[in-house]
Amino acid sequence: MDNKSGKSNSIVNSKRRTLLKGAGVVSAGIASGFMGPWVYNRVYAAASDKPILIGLTSDASGQYANSGASDRRGMMMAVAEFNAKGGVLGRRVETIHFDTETTPATGSRVAERLITRHECAFLIGAVSSGVANAISQVAQKYGTVYLNTNSSSPTESGKNCHRVKFVWDGNGTNFAQAAVKNAIDTYGKKWLLMTNDYVWGHNTSAATRSLVEMFGGDIVDEILVPQGTRDFSAMLLKVQQASPQVVAAAVGGDDQKAMRQQVSQLGLGQNMAWINNQQDWPDVYGLPLDNLFGVFGTTWYWKLDLPGVAEFVERYQAMYPDTRMRVPGNVFYNGYMATRELLGAVERAGTTNNGKVIMELENLKVSARDRMQHHDAYMNPNTHQMQQTIYLATANQTAQVPDDMFTVLSQSSPEDVRDNGADMTCSLESLADTPTYEM
Amino acid sequence: MTVSHIFPHLLNGLSLGLLFALIALGFMLIVGVMELINLAHGSLFALGAYFALTIIDPSLSWFTAAEDSYTALPLIYRYGLALILAPLLVAVVGMGLELCMRRTYGKKAEYGLLLTFGAALVIEESIRLTWGPTERYLQVPEFMTGAMLFAGLIYSKYKLYAVVLSIITIFLVWLFLERSPYGAIIKAGAHDSEMVRALGINLTKLRLLVFGFGAGLAGFAGIVMTPIWGLRPHVGIDAVIPAFLIIVVGGIGSFWGAVIGGILVGLSVGITGAYASDWSLLSMYLLLIIVVTFRTRGLFGKKSILEN
Repeated sequence: MDNKSGKSNSIVNSKRRTLLKGAGVVSAGIASGFMGPWVYNRVYAAASDKPILIGLTSDASGQYANSGASDRRGMMMAVAEFNAKGGVLGRRVETIHFDTETTPATGSRVAERLITRHECAFLIGAVSSGVANAISQVAQKYGTVYLNTNSSSPTESGKNCHRVKFVWDGNGTNFAQAAVKNAIDTYGKKWLLMTNDYVWGHNTSAATRSLVEMFGGDIVDEILVPQGTRDFSAMLLKVQQASPQVVAAAVGGDDQKAMRQQVSQLGLGQNMAWINNQQDWPDVYGLPLDNLFGVFGTTWYWKLDLPGVAEFVERYQAMYPDTRMRVPGNVFYNGYMATRELLGAVERAGTTNNGKVIMELENLKVSARDRMQHHDAYMNPNTHQMQQTIYLATANQTAQVPDDMFTVLSQSSPEDVRDNGADMTCSLESLADTPTYEM
Repeated sequence: MTVSHIFPHLLNGLSLGLLFALIALGFMLIVGVMELINLAHGSLFALGAYFALTIIDPSLSWFTAAEDSYTALPLIYRYGLALILAPLLVAVVGMGLELCMRRTYGKKAEYGLLLTFGAALVIEESIRLTWGPTERYLQVPEFMTGAMLFAGLIYSKYKLYAVVLSIITIFLVWLFLERSPYGAIIKAGAHDSEMVRALGINLTKLRLLVFGFGAGLAGFAGIVMTPIWGLRPHVGIDAVIPAFLIIVVGGIGSFWGAVIGGILVGLSVGITGAYASDWSLLSMYLLLIIVVTFRTRGLFGKKSILEN
C-alpha cells in the first residue's frame, strides 16, 4: 500500500510539477504577449478588384452639423473625381459615413467601428477639435491614417499630434498671427477675448492672448462662452461695460451664428473692432451682411482671382446642383483638398501601406496653382499640419454677384503665420511604434 | 460690483426669463392637461419659425405674378400675417400629432415619450428637406431692428419688442385659462378627466384642441425667438430643454409656475452669464436641483394626477 501510495504520490507530484511547468510556460507566454511588442500588423487581401474603403467621420448633428455636411461634400467630390479617372491603383474608392454628432465620445466609438468592423483603410473628417482629438487617439492605436480636415485648435498639430494624423486647416495661432499685429496697430491695445468653452476656443484664445501681450496689448477680460449658448445678451452687456477697443472672438458653429445675430442687432459690430479668429463659410452663408461684421480669417474663398478657382466652383455646382449653398466655402475646400492629397499619396506610394502613405504625406508639397491659393503649401513633417496661405477678410458691402459675401483684405504666406509653438509641443510617435497595415 | 453695474444684468435676466416663460407656456399646457411630456415641442417651435419664413417671403415659382404682388406688400403686413397664420398651421400639425397619440393613451408614459420623440425627428428632418440645412434669417419689420441707448448701455430694440409680446401673450393665455369657460374646462380636464367626461364634455375633442393650442404657442414662441437665436433645422433642441426644465422648476401644470420658473431660469442664466459665464448654461440645471431637492413638485406644483 505504502509503495503503491508512494508511487502514486510520485506520479501525482510529477504531474503537479509538469502542470506547474506548463502553467509557468503559459503564464510566461501570456506575460510576454502582454509585455510586448505592442505593435502588430494587419494585412488584408488587397485584391485589385477590392475597393479602397474610406471612413468619413464628419458631424451630421450637433453644433457643427452644417459644416460637417459641407466637409463631407468636399471629400465626396474628390473621391468621385478619382473614381472617374479609374480609381486609385486601379481600385475603386468607396466611402462609408457615420455621424460623429459633434461629440468626442461618439467620435471615438465611430472611429473604432469604422476601423475594426468595416476595415476602413483611412479615416477623414472633423470640424470639432475635441472630436478630432478623440478620433485620432483611436486611429493611432490601430495605425490608421486619419485626416483632420477642418478642426483648427493649435493642439491638433501641437500636443495632441499623432503620427497617423494630418491637419489640413489653418489653426488658431496661424489666424491670430495674421490678424493681431495689424489689429493692434489699427484699432488699439485694449482687447477682450470671447472664448468658446472647449478645446479649440481655449487654445485659440491662448494663442491670441500671447500674441497680443507680445505686441504690447492688454487683455482686459476673457468671457467664456459655453457650447450651446443661444442668448449672448448678458455677455454682450459685459463687453460694453468693459469697453474694449478690440474683441477677439473664438466662438464657432451655431454659437457663433447666434452671437453674430445678437451683436448685429445691438450694432456693436460698428462700436468696436471685432476679430473673429476664423470664419467658416457654412456658418455665415445666407445671413444678411450686417451679421458679417469685423475681420476674420479663412484659408480659401470662392472669388479668389486665381487659376482654377472658377473651374472648381463650376465642378462643385455640377456635382451638387440642388445644394442650397450655391458656391463652395473653406470647409468644403479643406475636405476636398485633404482627400485629393491622400488619394494622390496612395497613388505615388503605389500601395495602401500606412507607413508608406504617411511618408508620402510628410513630404507633401503642393504648388500654389494646385492649391488655388497665393503661396505654395507644404506639410510640416514635424507637426503634420499643412502650411498654407492665410487670408483675412471682411464683409463685402458692394457685392455685384450673389454669394460674394467676403472682401479679402490680405494674404499671408505660410512662413509669416507659422505656428512655432506646435513644433515645440508636438512629439510624433515613431513609425516603429505605429501599427502597420495594408488594405 | 456696484448697483449700476449689476442692474443691467438683473433687467436682462428678467427679460430673458419672460422669453423663456413664453417658450414654456405651450409645453406646460400639454403636460398639465394631457399628462404628456411632448418632446416634439422644440420641433414645433422650429416649424413655427419656418412657416413664418415662408409666409413672409414665399417662393411661389408656379405663380410668379402672385408672388411679386404679395412680396410688394410692406414687410409689417407680411410679418403680422405670419405671426397669426404660422402658429395656426403649427396647431394643425399639433392636432395631427395628437391623433397619432391616441393609441398611446392609457398605456405606459414611455409610449407617449417615444412617439413625440419620433415626431420630433420626423419634423426636424422634414424641415431640413423642405427648407434646407443652412442657416436662415427671419426678417422683422424695420422699426423693430437696431438698438437703443439706456443708462449708457446699448439694448436691442427687437428684444424689447419680444419681451412686450411675451408679456401680452402670457396675459392672454392667463385670461383664457382663468376667465373663460373653455379655460375652466381645460383646467378641470387636467384635474379630473373622468369627472369632466361624466359631465358630458367631449374629452377627446378637448385633448385635440389643447394639443393644438400648445403646439400653436410653441410655433408662436419660435417666431418670436428665432430672430434672436437664429434659425436652423435643429433650433428646437434649444427650446425644448429649457421648457422642460422650467415646468419642473415651476411645478407641472401650474401656469404661474411656468412664468415664475421661466423668470428664475432667465435670472440665473443672465446673472451667471455676466459674472461666471462658463456656468451660465449649467446654472439652470443647478437651479433645478436646488428646487427639486426642497420641493419635489416644483415651486407651484400641486399633487397631480400623475402621482395617483
